[in-house]
Amino acid sequence: MKKVRIGSGSAYWGDMLDPAVELVKNGDIGYIGFDHLAELTMALLQRAKTKDPTTGYIPDIIPWMKAILPTCAEKGITVISNGGGANPEAGGDEVVKLAKELNLTGLKVGVVVGDDIFGKLDEMRAKGIKFKNMDTGEEDIDRIRDKIVAANAYIGADSIIEALQEGAKVIVAGRVSDNALYVGPLMYEFGWSFNSPDWDLIGAAITVGHIIECAECCTGGMSNMWKVAPRLWDIGFPIAEVYENGDAIITKTPDSGGLVNQWTIKEHLIYEVHDPSNYLMPDGIADFTALKLEEIGKDQVRVTNMKGKQRPSELKVCIGYRDGFIGEGQVFFPWPDAYEKAKKGAETVRERLKKVNLDAEELRIDYIGVNTLHGEVAPEPTSELNEVGLRVVAKTKTKEEAEKVRREVTHLWTIGSVGSSFGVPLPIRPVVSLWPTLVPREEVPTRAIIKEVR
Amino acid sequence: MKKVRLKDLAYARSGDKGDVSNIGLMAFNKENYEIIKREVTPEKVKEHFKGMVKGDVKIYEMPNLDSLEIVLYNALGGGATRTLRLDQTGKSMGQALLWMEVEV
Repeated sequence: MKKVRIGSGSAYWGDMLDPAVELVKNGDIGYIGFDHLAELTMALLQRAKTKDPTTGYIPDIIPWMKAILPTCAEKGITVISNGGGANPEAGGDEVVKLAKELNLTGLKVGVVVGDDIFGKLDEMRAKGIKFKNMDTGEEDIDRIRDKIVAANAYIGADSIIEALQEGAKVIVAGRVSDNALYVGPLMYEFGWSFNSPDWDLIGAAITVGHIIECAECCTGGMSNMWKVAPRLWDIGFPIAEVYENGDAIITKTPDSGGLVNQWTIKEHLIYEVHDPSNYLMPDGIADFTALKLEEIGKDQVRVTNMKGKQRPSELKVCIGYRDGFIGEGQVFFPWPDAYEKAKKGAETVRERLKKVNLDAEELRIDYIGVNTLHGEVAPEPTSELNEVGLRVVAKTKTKEEAEKVRREVTHLWTIGSVGSSFGVPLPIRPVVSLWPTLVPREEVPTRAIIKEVR
Repeated sequence: MKKVRLKDLAYARSGDKGDVSNIGLMAFNKENYEIIKREVTPEKVKEHFKGMVKGDVKIYEMPNLDSLEIVLYNALGGGATRTLRLDQTGKSMGQALLWMEVEV
């Protein structure tokens, strides 16, 4: 039975490079996917592109491609990345330039465009599309229209498949869904098509993509297996060996650290999913509630009986808009009476903030070591604490107001209790809030542009 | 009837999509799955998180994985890019659920 081995080379912008290099060298794979985008990333990249139109892609893709392309060319591995970010064409041009330097003449680079609807928002509104907020139910983007900095649709695998059909061995896309980086090559290799779809097979591709798309997060990273996962500093990135009947075996780079077992796969199957029988992706809807997992060997888990349903008629769009600032300060207090000192510090800062008339939309106070992570769920400490941090943070409309928070917390350096300790003040952060919405699929046509290295 | 914490019955991992937090609660075995399925209800989860979860709680069953998918709405202080929480993406929400006591 025909099989395809596909690896995952990145979980986020800033991930490690060496496990990806190991994967292309020793993973015996035909494809590698790279996800570099998170919900906020598009807004950051769009801002960069506004300042300089030759930027807006993930800068890491160039050193990453430099490290892997010679091996990929030698072994015939196809690379599919969403590192084109807000400017896949510029990213693609840079990859072509790099490939030329590496003497990869004849290499075809596919650039996938169409996800960026920032410039089409008003035209689409004129057609009656309201961009209703999926989370809050707010009907219309009127309130935020002049603050919008980015708007991208999560597009599917259509144009990745098109690029592969045209012979592309490197694909640079923008906001394709992370999942489509894997669905695209699987559909292409097995001849699965949206024209005469078998939704269970496409559902299997979506499920496999979901399992491996966060790279190390299914091989012992971010894991309940943290106590027993060996050599996490050498963690192996995952490989899916997928068969044309839709079954798959999940494993990782040979002789690497980390581990693959039923728990590392389960904890990724349940990760960032809402209704597990309706996992909505642009390429289809996967159902995770019928599949079966079996440990069939060391670091090998077989996944069978994956199911799917027809792809949705709407695509998810993420709109980013400017939404004020966050000011924050932290001070740390030592034993004896560390927690009491921190509480006294909190009272002092609150009064100072009143005195300077802080105008905040929201103010939060955490005791680091007590309740920063678990908030109201955390029980009160029952014994003396060695040290406690005080974290004061506020969201404000203006930078000036955020600056007040930062400044007033630093005053605890001198008016706080004896022993108050501090590091370096934190910078003020501009906030980009997200507005998730749905648009009809036909409003977001995508295409692949093929560039050949000459 | 004795009471135990969820940490003694299951693993958990949590993630985010905007202001929605999700927790996968994975029972160590079939017997524990029956317990979490019975004991971990939307009402109890909402109460457990006190003020942290402003919206609804939905729970989906995954008998094939002995797991529950627990979805918490308006639960992350507005979502990763604008929340004032240090744990912007709610990675610790799953661990916070493990404090919950249930009858076995």
